[in-house]
Amino acid sequence: MTTTDTIVSRPSTPTSRILAVTKLHLANPWTIITLPWMILGIIFAASVVVWLLIHAAAGPQSFGETLEGTQWSGGLNYIFVYMMVVAVQAISITFPFALGYGVTRRDFYLGSAVTFVGLSAMYSLGLAILAEIEVATNGWGLGGTMFAPIYFGEGFFQRLFIFFVTHLFFFFVGSVFASIWVRWKATGVTAAILALGLLLLGVGAILTLTENWPAFGGFFVHFGFVGSYAWSLVLTVLAGLAGFFILRRATPKS
Amino acid sequence: MTDVIQVTGLTKRFASLEAVKDVTFSVGENKIYGLLGRNGAGKTTIMQLLTGQDFATSGSIKVFGESPVENASVLQNISFIKESQRYPEDFKPKHVFRSAPWFFANWDAEFADRLIEQFRLPLDRKIKKLSRGQLSSIGVIVGLASRAPLTFFDEPYLGLDAVARQLFYDTLLADYAEHPRTVILSTHLIDEVANLLEHVIVIDEGRIIIDQDADSLRSTATNLVGTTKAVESFVAGREIMHRDGIGGLASVTVAGLSPQEKQQATAAGLELSAVSLQQLIVRRTNTSEKEFEQSA
Repeated sequence: MTTTDTIVSRPSTPTSRILAVTKLHLANPWTIITLPWMILGIIFAASVVVWLLIHAAAGPQSFGETLEGTQWSGGLNYIFVYMMVVAVQAISITFPFALGYGVTRRDFYLGSAVTFVGLSAMYSLGLAILAEIEVATNGWGLGGTMFAPIYFGEGFFQRLFIFFVTHLFFFFVGSVFASIWVRWKATGVTAAILALGLLLLGVGAILTLTENWPAFGGFFVHFGFVGSYAWSLVLTVLAGLAGFFILRRATPKS
Repeated sequence: MTDVIQVTGLTKRFASLEAVKDVTFSVGENKIYGLLGRNGAGKTTIMQLLTGQDFATSGSIKVFGESPVENASVLQNISFIKESQRYPEDFKPKHVFRSAPWFFANWDAEFADRLIEQFRLPLDRKIKKLSRGQLSSIGVIVGLASRAPLTFFDEPYLGLDAVARQLFYDTLLADYAEHPRTVILSTHLIDEVANLLEHVIVIDEGRIIIDQDADSLRSTATNLVGTTKAVESFVAGREIMHRDGIGGLASVTVAGLSPQEKQQATAAGLELSAVSLQQLIVRRTNTSEKEFEQSA
């Protein structure tokens, strides 16, 4: 008796449903694509103005060294924090909306994850290309640094990789906190932050008491620059999995 | 008759509150159901359980024969329009109508366009800046144009003016006639939707107190007006649902009368009138409250 004649046997596959969620996240590209690049553009323009001012003040003779300090530029870092906020909004606000569209939590989370990986790839590629141009033009002809600061590595592929894993890390840390928010609201987020703080404190205490800080530092030396970044993928995957299981039992309450 | 929804012994308990208490009912295919009750009666919770948005504490829910929880083959046939739907950050109505067809196989874009015009909804304004009524009309349009085999409207008209509400009711009825589907409408504006409803489920304090065909429900009570003496002598020994009186006149609502009894009442000089769905439900809800008090 359970079959009915109005039910649609839609030609929907798990993949098509997941990609529909990805399209939903991208339906309004303003917040997640247009605006971040615009802000980067503004930061870049402002940096160029500052570089020109410094050159004007320092005079032409010391051109080579004047802007050496900008190799520690933090102009890019905002984008990672911004992407964490994007992930928080994408999960917390779009989740109740998508469920009204008849999307399962599973498809929603996987579609969001695809979106985050795609955005990470897009931004990493764009930034790595800009870094190449920056290096090739000797800092846009001014000796300045914004896209290729030294802590993002050297060479196109190394930077591409580091940009990519850093984006992924911030996206999925954002997802797990948004999932906690959706499921347990402010109480949950507070508890999670406290727990995380205690955990870090505990690890720090153990390292101090056992006098293992050199070993801890040795870890990064052992795995090297790129290898240390690669280890962040472990945390990213843990955050991604935790977000999935937390969201699967969450209810969209207004 | 095929059932689209079968609910058995459903209970939902929140930390301090039992919102739904051992509820059993079924919903037939291609009918318009009213899920009625006072605020906080448990209407929204039931809808959230039926659409897999919330998890039952105990009991069983079958929608299209299967549990709706995380079940894509069930959920893709459902459209759930909520009173206070939130939209993604910086969305404009055009983004909603662009994305809806990706999720609703039966989406009718022309129908949606026509409704957008009728409801005078601006497409290119940020949703955050829309009025309460415009916000509601987005939900109403999505719910209608999605033509999902099972559509839930949870108080969908907050902030809509009387003209827009009438437009919603008329459009729902006309489109339902052409494209039959199961609609569950939750509301406390009972009289406004009374003519739409084919079946009425009334919930009060988490329990179902009425689950009845709308027509037969209406015939379960009659209003009698006449002189106090004539009324009192006629209603003596009957189940009285409500009593009013001014001076020597009395108005009494009694439980269902047979055609024969109605003739007797007319002969006794009483005037008979139908009881509106709203009155009926208000009175039944009061009755049940008293019963709860007595049993407590």
